[in-house]
Amino acid sequence: MRPRESLTSLVLTAPATLALVIFVFLPVAVVFLLAFTNYQIGAPGLGWVGLDNFEQLFGSRLGRNALLNTLTYVAIVIPASVGLGLLVALGLHALARSMPRLSDVLKAVYFLPVAATLVAMAVSWQMLLHPSLGLINTWSSALGLPAPLWLSDRGLVLYTLSAIGIWQSVGYNMVLFLAGLAAIPPALYDAAEVDGATGGWSRFWLVTWPMLGPTTLFVLVVTAASAFRVFETVATLTKGGPAFASDTIVYALYREGFVYFKAGYASAITVVFFLALLLLTALQVWVIERKVHYR
Amino acid sequence: MKTSLLALGLALAAGSAAADTTLRVHYAIPTIWADTQAALAEAFMAAHPDVTIELDGPAEGYAEGVQRLLRESVAGTAPDVAWVGLNLWRVLEARDLAQPLDAFLPEDPEAQGYTGALLSLGRFENTQYALGTSASTLVAYVNPDLVERAGGSMENFPTDYDGIIELAAKIDALDATIEGVWVSPHDWRFQSFLGAHGGRPMTENESDITFDSDAGVAAATVYSRFASEAGMSTMGQNDARQAFPAGTLGIMFESSSLMTRFAEGAGERFDMTVTPMPIVAADEEVYLPTGGSGIVMLTDDAEKQQAAWDYISFVTSPEAQKIIVETTGYAPTNALVVEDASYLGDFYAQNPNARVAHAQVAQYAGPWYAYPGAEGVAVTDVIAADLLGVVEGADPREAVENLAETTRSMLGFN
Repeated sequence: MRPRESLTSLVLTAPATLALVIFVFLPVAVVFLLAFTNYQIGAPGLGWVGLDNFEQLFGSRLGRNALLNTLTYVAIVIPASVGLGLLVALGLHALARSMPRLSDVLKAVYFLPVAATLVAMAVSWQMLLHPSLGLINTWSSALGLPAPLWLSDRGLVLYTLSAIGIWQSVGYNMVLFLAGLAAIPPALYDAAEVDGATGGWSRFWLVTWPMLGPTTLFVLVVTAASAFRVFETVATLTKGGPAFASDTIVYALYREGFVYFKAGYASAITVVFFLALLLLTALQVWVIERKVHYR
Repeated sequence: MKTSLLALGLALAAGSAAADTTLRVHYAIPTIWADTQAALAEAFMAAHPDVTIELDGPAEGYAEGVQRLLRESVAGTAPDVAWVGLNLWRVLEARDLAQPLDAFLPEDPEAQGYTGALLSLGRFENTQYALGTSASTLVAYVNPDLVERAGGSMENFPTDYDGIIELAAKIDALDATIEGVWVSPHDWRFQSFLGAHGGRPMTENESDITFDSDAGVAAATVYSRFASEAGMSTMGQNDARQAFPAGTLGIMFESSSLMTRFAEGAGERFDMTVTPMPIVAADEEVYLPTGGSGIVMLTDDAEKQQAAWDYISFVTSPEAQKIIVETTGYAPTNALVVEDASYLGDFYAQNPNARVAHAQVAQYAGPWYAYPGAEGVAVTDVIAADLLGVVEGADPREAVENLAETTRSMLGFN
């Protein structure tokens, strides 16, 4: 019986496994190989260049600039988006008891940016942020405030994109936190009250926050993964400019591979990016997991 | 009964295979080209009933188009003929995908309207790889209302950079939301100013950078003075392309291909006027890099090549060029269509702006230098970044000299 069962299992899993190998693992392997060559898209041949591509990424001004920009973006977006998501979720969760209709409407409003296509939203942002015609600068000039070049000042552009990134991801984090809040057993709050934790802050600090641990970990991982991958807003709003000021690692990957046709170098960026994300996820899961589960 | 039907079917299939050639044609930028391409294909098929034109789904822009052609060529599914950006056909040539056209060219190209200047747009190392199909050069778009409010007039519109800077500064001072002049820090625009000053970006044999000449410094100085004297901002291209039609930008140096779009955008708001590039050097030293599209033959099948050439020579003929000019706003790439008033005389009478731009193409058209080698496209982004530095206040001479050194080392020239 047993070999027969194993055979059936094998037959059942084979098509999916085969598809995975052909369409995921093989291409990934090819990318890993290309990362060590100077292959150009469409070129008849390629040469082995060893670690040159990686040296260029970490050694050249442009490569380091893209890495640094990405880290800056991530450092702003992760805490702001997770923090705001938590705040909004707490607010709406409390509001749901007194004004459930309003709370539902606000939930939908916060979730809209997640549901909307980011590229289409980017076009709206572009119109809002236009230096002389946009709504934001028209208002700020009317109020006597300065009218900055939101997307074409190299000192400002990365922060503008970060703000858009936060706007886009807060709603998603809010939904996850709301689910986490709903899962906290009310009995815990009663028990805390009996033990003397009556204030809002102590209730949050002693019950809500620890119970949200697993949710927070998940939200952090998801936000980090999407923040590191920032691409759509860069591609539609700034094309990495002005003068590479908003060049991020995934945009650099696209630029090198599909604008400059340097497939080898783009593959090297992909490899580094892949390993970095893998490491980050592993770190978050292995190290923090131990501290957030109570069962 | 069955056998005869089968025989009939086979005969039909065989007959159609022998008589009909199907040409797959690639093009990009459907917002400009979709209707034009359909009209051209229809006109061509009417004249050549044995050839069927099959238009591939268009690519969004020229860069995406070339990416797709490269991918398709790797997969062996490349189209037979492709319309590509005039600065990008060299990418196909460098990979041996574009077929030489010399064997097909008429003995006296000049008589067919293919002048030397126009052939130069698709020529490299004495081999013809592409033929221009539509052309554009840098022109100045002017908002006459703002010029008048600043105390100027279109009758004495300045024809040199000093005059334009002075006027732009006055326009810029009108109002906080109004800007005087804008030009994108960009390789093609820089090459245009360079050519207007009589400079060239590279030596003839493409072995060294030459834009660190006096002409190059003068070209960068135009950017520097626009910013320091006329208050040019660093706003992005999309922002500027919205600001000009909205009436908040006085003078904008842009590609002549945007003429129709700007005229429609400005609508009744103001009477958009096109003026030519101020030329500084003597005429014989001047060239203006020409943007637009060219057509290349990709098929290496001898039978298809003949049909492909028929199509290529059709779309570059005066009849087809008339269609392109009237529907896209690009300048033609066949001299006959400009010289012979029977083709476009009425069109020019109604579109004086187009006449300005097309006359400039006919007089000064030159190749849009594409930097050679693997880093060729990357170099143009570095040029753009350093020009932005000039707009932000860097010294033009120093910037151009540093840029030339960076470019040389990227391209492996030293």
